[in-house]
Amino acid sequence: MPNMREIRERIASIQQILKITNAMYLMSSSKLKKARKSLDATEPYFYKLQETINNILEHTPHTRQAYFDRRTNIPEDKRKRGYIVITGDKGLCGSYNHNILKYAEQKLDETKNIDNCYLFVMGQVGRMHFHRRMSGGGKASVDGEFLYTTQNPTLYRAMEIAKIVLDKFENHELDEVYVLYTDMINSNLQETRTVQLLPFERRHFGKAPDGTMKKLPKASFVPSPEKVMEFLIPQYAKGIIYGAMVEAFCCEQQSRMTAMDAATTSAKDMIKDLSLLYNRARQAAITQEITEVVSGANGLDE
Amino acid sequence: MAKTFQLEIIATDRIFFRGECEHLVITAIDGLLGIMAGHEPLVTVLPTGELKYMVDGVWKYAAISEGFIQVMPDKAVILADSCELPEEIDIKRAEEARQRAEELMKQKQSIVEYYQTQAALNRAMNRLKVSQKHFK
Repeated sequence: MPNMREIRERIASIQQILKITNAMYLMSSSKLKKARKSLDATEPYFYKLQETINNILEHTPHTRQAYFDRRTNIPEDKRKRGYIVITGDKGLCGSYNHNILKYAEQKLDETKNIDNCYLFVMGQVGRMHFHRRMSGGGKASVDGEFLYTTQNPTLYRAMEIAKIVLDKFENHELDEVYVLYTDMINSNLQETRTVQLLPFERRHFGKAPDGTMKKLPKASFVPSPEKVMEFLIPQYAKGIIYGAMVEAFCCEQQSRMTAMDAATTSAKDMIKDLSLLYNRARQAAITQEITEVVSGANGLDE
Repeated sequence: MAKTFQLEIIATDRIFFRGECEHLVITAIDGLLGIMAGHEPLVTVLPTGELKYMVDGVWKYAAISEGFIQVMPDKAVILADSCELPEEIDIKRAEEARQRAEELMKQKQSIVEYYQTQAALNRAMNRLKVSQKHFK
């Protein structure tokens, strides 16, 4: 029979943890509500932006804009790739951080030369993870000055990030830029996803389903295609980064809520089991005591 | 009833307007631009400024900050950072933002900071202008 005091201590400690997980559950559920609201508000913009840009590109005459430059003269293993990885600021959110980090690692492993990979990590957890890895040597380098939180995404922050990567792209410090984030498909399904930000992917929708060339009317660009693109692409980058930030933040809260809910439930289960055990032990002790008293009294009678 | 076209104005935080519109006037980087149904396909950039659109013969005004517009003969899509009706603008907040930006402009700043403050000042001024013009 386990010691009664031991069981009591365990129950007390589980109750403490239960309080914490429950509080975190409540907090993340209210944060999730907020994040959900901003996600719902942003989603039309996010999707419309992608749709419109694709649509515009169909009508765009060939331009020599810098952001379209694929730099094909640079060989595969010399290309400098930048990854914006969006992780959480804190742990305790189930497999959310683990999934995105594993996904990022996988992406890095796929590249020809990992030394030419540059990571722009948002969120404390991801930053710590890659810093630790970096000290191992021969790994992708993390931009140490890139310090952005993933809490409460704002358009302003997205703009700053977009500016940093666009500048690096223009200065040939980066040849390709990707955004890695977690996409919310529905409330219990999340998926890690990559979006290519730069160079601007010019998909050729020029072919109709029957294989003939579609004749697309060329739209006019005011004042000039180059000028418009020069403005449009930072705008697009900003929109994409903002959208990804909002999605990721919402996912983080969602997984934290689920994780904390599960933790609370299992803590309650444990308390239930332990109190049963405790009561049994207590009952056994009482029975034993009574037996002792009775047998003692019997001994006196004889 | 004039001929109409489908107009969509989508800001990052909401769908601002979606519906039939008779006439749209925007401020593009090089001046005002009027758009009616059957306009040629056009793409242009909208700096922080003012726009107006006519629905059922009534002009409606809005303050818009950075975005772009895609025009097709039967529809137009505006995507912008933010878009507000004159009556929605928080004058006090805009005024505070203006003062803050003006204060910052006087300080020594890096070029990037300077541009950012300038953009913030622009947005605040635009909000104030639109709200004073159309909402009293």
